[in-house]
Amino acid sequence: MSPLTAIPAYSAHLLPQVERLPAQDIAELPSTLPAAQPADSNSFSSLLGKLVSDVNAQQQAAGQNVNALQSGQNVPLHQAVISMEEANVSFQLMVEVRNRLLESYQEIMRMQI
Amino acid sequence: MIQILTGIQNTSAALDAERTRLDVISQNIANAHTTHDVDGKPYQRRVVVFETALQNAMAGDRSTLPAIQVAKIAVDKRPPLKVPDPGNPEADAQGMVAVPNINIHEEMADLISASRTFEANLAVVKNARSMALATLAIGRH
Repeated sequence: MSPLTAIPAYSAHLLPQVERLPAQDIAELPSTLPAAQPADSNSFSSLLGKLVSDVNAQQQAAGQNVNALQSGQNVPLHQAVISMEEANVSFQLMVEVRNRLLESYQEIMRMQI
Repeated sequence: MIQILTGIQNTSAALDAERTRLDVISQNIANAHTTHDVDGKPYQRRVVVFETALQNAMAGDRSTLPAIQVAKIAVDKRPPLKVPDPGNPEADAQGMVAVPNINIHEEMADLISASRTFEANLAVVKNARSMALATLAIGRH
């Protein structure tokens, strides 16, 4: 089982709370992501969900490449390694997004009322 | 699909092409003394011809960058060499044997060139990766 399968549930749990944050902060983030979906699916949570599933797909593609290589199919070595690198970098992108989200959430939780 | 390491698709194609070139050179070296190819004649040297290729337009946004691919594996037209070797069963009436038109020094120079090009493309991959990681580190403290 992929370690990433639990993440959509985690982000679904996290996001309703984050979306209640002041919209100004978050409104800028979606515009930096490639948003080509219809207006309904343009919310930040669906964009983040798409990012997570993209990262998951890349991890699975890398796993398939390595499996194919190890089972003796005609997959070039460099292609397997490059797909692993791509999966690695996009995973780090996702971790970075999650870190920023948590950081701003905690910053707001620390505010004096 | 998110495109993180965009230039790498082309580099991957180049690595593929250089690998094919290495394969063909190894075939040439291995057959340097093959006097009997599948057509019955001495083995003829093979050369790889590269061409640029537009990547599949469905693949991603940067797909218009031309990639490299192997156009064909052609045959070197130079005639076979004649060497005197009367004991060889392939020898003609004058005791001459037609051996492949392969010059090992030429093949080794080609091999070095292919291997260095491969390394250059690997360096591109390495740099693209470290650029992406450095970009992700923006604002990290």
